[in-house]
Amino acid sequence: MLLTAESTDYSAGMATAPDADIRADAADEASLIERSKASDPKAFELLYRQHVDKVYGLCLRMTGNPGEAEDCAQEAFIQAWRQLAKFRGDSAFSTWLHRIAVNAVLGRMRKSKREQERIQVVAERSPHQPLAVDSGELRDLTAAVNRLPAGARHVFVLNAVYGYSHEEAGRMLGIAVGTSKAQLHRARRMLSEALAEQDAENAPDRDP
Amino acid sequence: MNERKDSIEERAAKLATEIAPPRDLWPGIEAAISAEEQPAPRRYFMPLLAQAAAVVLLVGASSGLTYLTMKDRQAPIVVSPDLVFERVSFARYDLGPGFQDARDRLSSQLAQELMRLSPEARGEVEENLAAIRTAIVEINAALEAEPDNALLQELLLRTYREELTVMHRVGGLTQNVMTRNNGQRNDI
Repeated sequence: MLLTAESTDYSAGMATAPDADIRADAADEASLIERSKASDPKAFELLYRQHVDKVYGLCLRMTGNPGEAEDCAQEAFIQAWRQLAKFRGDSAFSTWLHRIAVNAVLGRMRKSKREQERIQVVAERSPHQPLAVDSGELRDLTAAVNRLPAGARHVFVLNAVYGYSHEEAGRMLGIAVGTSKAQLHRARRMLSEALAEQDAENAPDRDP
Repeated sequence: MNERKDSIEERAAKLATEIAPPRDLWPGIEAAISAEEQPAPRRYFMPLLAQAAAVVLLVGASSGLTYLTMKDRQAPIVVSPDLVFERVSFARYDLGPGFQDARDRLSSQLAQELMRLSPEARGEVEENLAAIRTAIVEINAALEAEPDNALLQELLLRTYREELTVMHRVGGLTQNVMTRNNGQRNDI
């Protein structure tokens, strides 16, 4: 895994060629995982530094709310620490972390209906607050995604943004493949309508 | 519609998948995982001390409890007004109706159970419960300031469980004493 710009402070001294980076990172990651399994918090911190942007990114896309995403990401890493012994390397570590992050988001939403409603309300109240990381036309899409109902949003994020198949998304979310497909169809339809509305609203501004 | 679908999917694929959180989440994670492996941080020393004291007192009280109750069966009955049990409040987390029911049931039985103990044994049990209650109050106060602190949440949960255990054991001990007493009376 290539470290992101935000985490380069922790990767000083690593090789610069991309292939060498990938090999070195994979070896480092395997070593860090083993050390973490042996209850080495320092090694686990390095894993956190390497993966936090991916985990937080997924949580943010799924919840649409930075505060909720922080809590979910934190919970995901705590759960990852507890469940490390179960990680056997059948999938990439980042994929394994993603599954835990999805569980953290779903678990948090299940814990309390009131909290779930609050997450939804927060998302609905701030639909036009685009993420700083998204630019231009993507901000409209992000705002529209944040307004989707939770079920449709989760499937859309996992499938369309993160590239997981319906089988993988279904496993992560605990839903049938058919349900995942139906939710994606629903998300596409709602996003098309929302973006068309936004285009219509923006159209007069474009006219001279 | 197909063009729109493609457009949405193409645009979705361009969305950033790696986003840096606005703050470092590691301190909170570290605190939570350290609680499972290492002693708790210094700032939570008092609640932990209170818990430790409660456990030590509980062990001492439990070992002597049976002897004391058997020894002093005719002692006058005094019910302490200090042991008042409130409903469980646990930040935004629910301990579950089962836990709450058990706690309410044991709390309501506790006064009766204590009446069967000698003043000495009763005093020890009350001290144990008071120490645990102090710990609960302190942890709750700390949680007011840091409601998302996983370490404190864990600590509070454990302390509630300890309280439940003490109440349960008091009930068990008095029941044993009653059974033995009944047996002796029957023999006579």
